[in-house]
Amino acid sequence: MQETVTTSALLDPSHSSVSTQDKSSTGGHTSSTGPQPSKPSITPVSAKSRNPHPGANFHRMRRIIAEDPEWSLAIVPLLTELCIQHIIRNFQNNPILKQMLPEHQQKVLNHLSPDLPLAVTSNLIDNENYWLRCCMQRWPVCHVAHHGGSWKRMFFERHLENLLKHFIPGTTDPAVILDLLPLCRNYVRRVHVDQFLPPVQIPAQLRPGDQSDSGSEGEMEEPTVDHYQLGDLVAGLSHLEELDLVYDVKDCGMNFEWNLFLFTYRDCHSLAAAIKACHTLKIFKLTRSKVDDDKARIIIRSLLDHPVLEELDLSHNLIGDRGARGAAKLLNHSRLRVLNLANNQVRAPGAQSLAHALAHNTNLISLNLRLNCIEDEGGQALAHALQTNKCLTTLHLGGNELSEPTATLLSQVLAINTTLTSINLSCNHIGLDGGKQLLEGMSDNKTLLEFDLRLSDVAQESEYLIGQALYANREAARQRALNPSHFMSTITANGPENSVG
Amino acid sequence: MNPPGSLAGLDPNLDEHLSTQILAPSVHSDNPQERIQARRLRIAARLEPRRREALGEYLDGKKESEEDQSKSYKQKEESRLKLAKLLLCGTELVTNIQVAIDIREIHRRVEEEEIKRQRIEKLENEVKTSQDKFDEITSKWEEGKQKRIPQELWEMLNTQQLHCAGLLEDKNKLISELQQELKTKDDQYVKDLKKQSDDICLLLERMEEQVKNVMKTFREELYNIEKAFEVERQELLASNKKKWERALQAHNAKELEYLTNRMKKVEDYEKQLNRQRIWDCEEYNTIKIKLEQDVQILEQQLQQRKAIYQLNQEKLEYNLQVLKKRDEESTVIKSQQKRKINRLHDILNNLRSKYAKQIKQFQEENQSLTLDYKRLVLQFKELQKAMRHFALIDDEKFREIWLMNEEEAKDLIARAFDVDRIIHTHHLGLPWTAPDFWFLKNVGPISQQPQKSATQIVEEMLMHTEEEEAEEAASEPESYLDLPKQVSEKTTKKILMLLCDESGFLIESKLLSLLLPLEQNECYLLRLDAIFSALGIESEDDLYKLVNFFLKYRAHRLSSSLQIKSCSQASMEKASMEETSMGSELELAEQTEMEGAKEESLVEGEKEEEEETPPSPWDIHPNDVLKILEAFVMGLKKPRDSRAPPRVQKNMRNNSKDSEYWQALTTVIPSSKQNLWDALYTALEKYHIVLTQRAKLLLENSSLEQRNTELQALLQQYLNSKINSELQVPPTQVLRVPTK
Repeated sequence: MQETVTTSALLDPSHSSVSTQDKSSTGGHTSSTGPQPSKPSITPVSAKSRNPHPGANFHRMRRIIAEDPEWSLAIVPLLTELCIQHIIRNFQNNPILKQMLPEHQQKVLNHLSPDLPLAVTSNLIDNENYWLRCCMQRWPVCHVAHHGGSWKRMFFERHLENLLKHFIPGTTDPAVILDLLPLCRNYVRRVHVDQFLPPVQIPAQLRPGDQSDSGSEGEMEEPTVDHYQLGDLVAGLSHLEELDLVYDVKDCGMNFEWNLFLFTYRDCHSLAAAIKACHTLKIFKLTRSKVDDDKARIIIRSLLDHPVLEELDLSHNLIGDRGARGAAKLLNHSRLRVLNLANNQVRAPGAQSLAHALAHNTNLISLNLRLNCIEDEGGQALAHALQTNKCLTTLHLGGNELSEPTATLLSQVLAINTTLTSINLSCNHIGLDGGKQLLEGMSDNKTLLEFDLRLSDVAQESEYLIGQALYANREAARQRALNPSHFMSTITANGPENSVG
Repeated sequence: MNPPGSLAGLDPNLDEHLSTQILAPSVHSDNPQERIQARRLRIAARLEPRRREALGEYLDGKKESEEDQSKSYKQKEESRLKLAKLLLCGTELVTNIQVAIDIREIHRRVEEEEIKRQRIEKLENEVKTSQDKFDEITSKWEEGKQKRIPQELWEMLNTQQLHCAGLLEDKNKLISELQQELKTKDDQYVKDLKKQSDDICLLLERMEEQVKNVMKTFREELYNIEKAFEVERQELLASNKKKWERALQAHNAKELEYLTNRMKKVEDYEKQLNRQRIWDCEEYNTIKIKLEQDVQILEQQLQQRKAIYQLNQEKLEYNLQVLKKRDEESTVIKSQQKRKINRLHDILNNLRSKYAKQIKQFQEENQSLTLDYKRLVLQFKELQKAMRHFALIDDEKFREIWLMNEEEAKDLIARAFDVDRIIHTHHLGLPWTAPDFWFLKNVGPISQQPQKSATQIVEEMLMHTEEEEAEEAASEPESYLDLPKQVSEKTTKKILMLLCDESGFLIESKLLSLLLPLEQNECYLLRLDAIFSALGIESEDDLYKLVNFFLKYRAHRLSSSLQIKSCSQASMEKASMEETSMGSELELAEQTEMEGAKEESLVEGEKEEEEETPPSPWDIHPNDVLKILEAFVMGLKKPRDSRAPPRVQKNMRNNSKDSEYWQALTTVIPSSKQNLWDALYTALEKYHIVLTQRAKLLLENSSLEQRNTELQALLQQYLNSKINSELQVPPTQVLRVPTK
């Protein structure tokens, strides 16, 4: 932008009449401050001469130029240059890009303003450089790796995220998002929203009844606190692969009310319908949203027999045994590879149903049950399931009130199983004997790479020995990776798992 | 809970970013060499945490193993292990916080649960007690209604109020307790928040520290590795330089050696060359002298050649002129010939046209002639018809005339015979026997004796034999034909039967099917008819020829039976081969023949005994029949060709027989008889004379007697009239009487 201005300003005084004094002087000033790679021959002289007397140097300059024997047409910009500038200036009204030669296209793209309306640019410009500038202008921190390395995608995803974050049902016009839909539908693959604002309520109505009987009022107002319905948006995005939602309100400060954090049944139903209709969805995350059993079951039912879904994350919710049972059913009715139920309220029955599903599952690679309360019954059931399972590689059972019986069974599993690479049993009450048994199991295992036993009452000695065994396994795995000729099959089996895990 | 996780997720990326940022300048500042840079990058990539893609790691590892250099490898391994450990420890350190929070959370939950349970219990208890109290109060209300005394009622009301107050107090106490709890919880919450923020701070601190640590160690390790590589490179350079110098020295020494060797050799070669040169000079001189002499001789020869050449040239010139002349002549002749050829061509064309004309003419002529010929043929046919007609008429006439003449002749002959018989019986007194001549029986012209067809003969024969069989030993009728003497009728029949059975293939299959229902004889007859027609046997003679042929063949075979046995076997085989080739018809015939042969073989034995002398046809093997037939047909063809002329001759020959016949008829009365007759005539003449003499005498006598008688009659008449009758008696009686 600046460059174009300077060049035009520079050109004007050299050929125009004397009357435009102010303009020329400003132009001269800018020329001295602006970048000077394009005209190194003239500017230094003029700059030197002009600096001491900015007001008087005009006449001199003019005279010098008029009598300058070295003056040539070379400093007159080419017609193509002028055309390009014109195109850049009028890009909003008359976007011409595809018809130009590649070099000119590049030039235009380098000089286009990032503030151009999206309606003009979104489907016309694919150049990453332009979108990089757009992103850098809007956001100070950009992790393009989070968006598949594409700046354009990042721009649209974050733009959409912003709009969704600040969408207030009832007050914001839904057309704001729906208008964006045709522009971004081909570029957005991931929607990550960590806040959904509830509709604005008149505070006068709320405050008096707030303390006395919030329960009855909450029931009354529940239909009114529905959040933005994602159905239209999800249906419109043709390449949507990841949906990461948190029904939460950030930065509420002293305006805190429980109502703000409600994930209503209507929200749940609309969300379920939306994800059911979206056949490209691969990753679905719904965390910290107070999803209880019924809502979890509604969502899981909509995900049954989904063609491509690979990862389901329902961590930090209120899912109990019934929800876990639903998830177990989902395991064998989809291609789910990663299931995360961390920090829920799954107990032994839920874990048992999960174990039952896991026993003959061939898709699931990672299962996370951190911070649940499956206890020994559930742990034993899972251990039994792992004796037949040939697919699971990562298992997180941290903070599950497990104790010695589970450890004994797991040690048997360790001796048999050859697919597990990572187990986390931290924050349990394994005990000294349990640690010893696990150590025995580890002595027969050659595949496990990570085994977390922190804060689980295991003797330091056995923990250390297990660490040694793990180290040996890791070295072996590395050797296997280095010499793939002997272990080609194992590597190909491990390759995708590693990338996913 | 979440922030640490998300931060941890961000951490490696930051790490990566920083490391690449740090690496880039260091590469530029230290050493711009590409190789080192590449290695550095590779090392940096390898120092990435373990979850890096397997592919990249594998590539690294491969190159590493390829290098397999002791020092750098060791250094790399060491630093790798160190870094891995560092990373592991660092992540553990970082995650320790999470784990700690987790366990705190679990503990909190457990406690919370316990407290919750207690609270619920307490609340339930409270509800129970308050309910009891409430019930008590309500029951007392009932009591109160019954109370009539105001003091009591007031008292009761007071107590009720007290109770209610107590209940309310309890409730309020509970509420205040709960609110207290809530407050403590709030405090707790604030504390928790603070703790969590502390934790997060700690986490961040640790992560930062970790990042710094890792970066530092990475840099250190990188430096170490670089250094190791540098040292190794130096070592390698030094060692290589040493090697190079050693090699150069060795090379120089060798070069020197080679040089001296070469000098020596050069000297040697020079000496040798000189020697060789001298020797070659001498040789050259001698050869030169010799060659000069040769040149002289050759020059002489050249002169001679030249002379001869001139001579030859003259000769050739002369010849050339002669040839030129001849050429001219030949051209003249050629032109003449050409002219001639043209002329001849003209002639040829003329002739051709003529020839074409003539062809036309002749064709026309031919057509006319063919027309004439056709007409003539028609005429000829008509003529023939007429001729045939006339011939028939002639024949008829001839036959009539013949018959007439014959009748006449026979009448004459009969008269002659009658006369002869009368002569013999009356005059000679001899018994007369009628002479027996062939021609006497003959009626009609001899030449028209009918030539029987073969089939007729066969038919007759068959009929005959049938009768014979019926009569068994009846005598053979002599009237039956004039078979060749040696051929008996039976043998003929057998042969024919054999033929009939054997050559069934000559009969049409249709006919065979028609024949089935017929009688055996008729069957044979028809079969033979068909066979004869096929073989071309028409006349009686042919049939006999056939029979004879069979017999001859047999005789021939018998004579050379011993020698030919083998041959016959071969021929049999051949025949069998032929038979097989003849097809299904033959097989059928063979079958029938086999059946027939079985029956006949029984008869055969008897027959053979009966007629030993004639050659039995049964000796002819059925298989030979075909061969015989073939030979016969071949033989028969020849006479068949000239069959037309003999037919005409037959009529001519008849004339001779006719004359004979007629001659014979004239000589019915043999000359001896004529002589007899002449003699008889003469005798009779004499006798006649005698008789006439006697007659005369008799007349005289009679006249005498008459005179006598008249005299006697006169006497008798005179004597008796009866005696007159006696006079009528012949004179002999009269004679006798007197003799008596």
